Amino acid sequence: MTSPALQEKFQSLVDEHKKILYKVCNSYCRNRDDREDLAQEIMIQLWRSFGSFDERARFSTWMYRIALNVAISFYRRESTRTRFVLSSEALLLNAVDETAKRPAEMQVLNEFIGRLDPLNKALVLLYLDGHNYQEIAAVVGITETNVATKISRLKQKLEKGEQHV
Amino acid sequence: MFDLDEMKQAWAQHDRKLDECIRLNRQLLSRENLNGARSQMQRLTVLLGMEAAGWFVIVVLLGNFMYYNISILRFALPGAAADLYAIGMFGVMIRLIVEVQRIDYGGPIAAIQKQLGVLRVLRIRTLQWALLAGTVVWAPFAIVVFRVLFGLESYNFAWLIANLVFGLSLIPLAIWVSKRFSGRMDRSPFIQRLMNDIAGYNLTAAEGFLSELSKFEEN
Repeated sequence: MTSPALQEKFQSLVDEHKKILYKVCNSYCRNRDDREDLAQEIMIQLWRSFGSFDERARFSTWMYRIALNVAISFYRRESTRTRFVLSSEALLLNAVDETAKRPAEMQVLNEFIGRLDPLNKALVLLYLDGHNYQEIAAVVGITETNVATKISRLKQKLEKGEQHV
Repeated sequence: MFDLDEMKQAWAQHDRKLDECIRLNRQLLSRENLNGARSQMQRLTVLLGMEAAGWFVIVVLLGNFMYYNISILRFALPGAAADLYAIGMFGVMIRLIVEVQRIDYGGPIAAIQKQLGVLRVLRIRTLQWALLAGTVVWAPFAIVVFRVLFGLESYNFAWLIANLVFGLSLIPLAIWVSKRFSGRMDRSPFIQRLMNDIAGYNLTAAEGFLSELSKFEEN
């Protein structure tokens, strides 16, 4: 595939799955600048790895893996301040009036996700997005039994309303 | 009390609305922009590549120095010490570059994060050793530089020993100062990171994450 065609395909696939980018950035970063930096960092990594994407696999699974791996590294980086990588002016991801449309349960859920460590955050995100245990296990790289145990524990913690997860 | 499965319904409803709310800036995704931008790992590779190239030049220069001074023990020994240090640094830089290149972000999260964790530990250990050993190795380097630039013919052996001892005594001092004052260096993140590396705080954090990751994988 030629480079412009490859880029066109990349843009279409990313556009189709832009919600993954949005949800990962929102779950791992609190402030807008960090979210934008993370979105751009993920986008660059997606583009760099796109050549090795196996088309027999699901794009969403592959995109989740890259987005979550970049997000966890970003979250753990020692120096908190990062620079804009693609542009310092335009935003890569624009959310129009999104918070106004959020139901109250979403606020609670966002707070719950915000308190999780980066690895459990990834599990919950994938679970909420409707992936089954087998798919979650494939993205995270742990056994299905382990995924089931962890999700069950997280459910219990949410029910109990534990502050520290 | 909240139920994660009930939340899942709310999440799905919200997810449907997201399509209307979020827009991806396609202009930023032009080929020029994407190809021109560098990811964190690419920046790290470039930096490591430059360091490796620098150490390679030093190894070659020191090799040349050794060739001309091999029969003069008072210069051959400091030259060999400096050369060993430079070869060690060059080797570690190459290893770091290889480790960075092996990371495929499309792999499973647990495996990739472990690779990144090991890389972080290796990078911090390298910096710690380079800085702490540097307090001792600077004296042999100084002898080599003075010999090359100013044709130094002899030096006081006691001076060399005194500097080596002084360098060694600086190591615990550097660790103590880093532990004591790194918390106060908020205004200079680079210096703070350096001090946290010397004090071992960043290493503890990196090793802590690896152990957290192992527990996460176990059960």
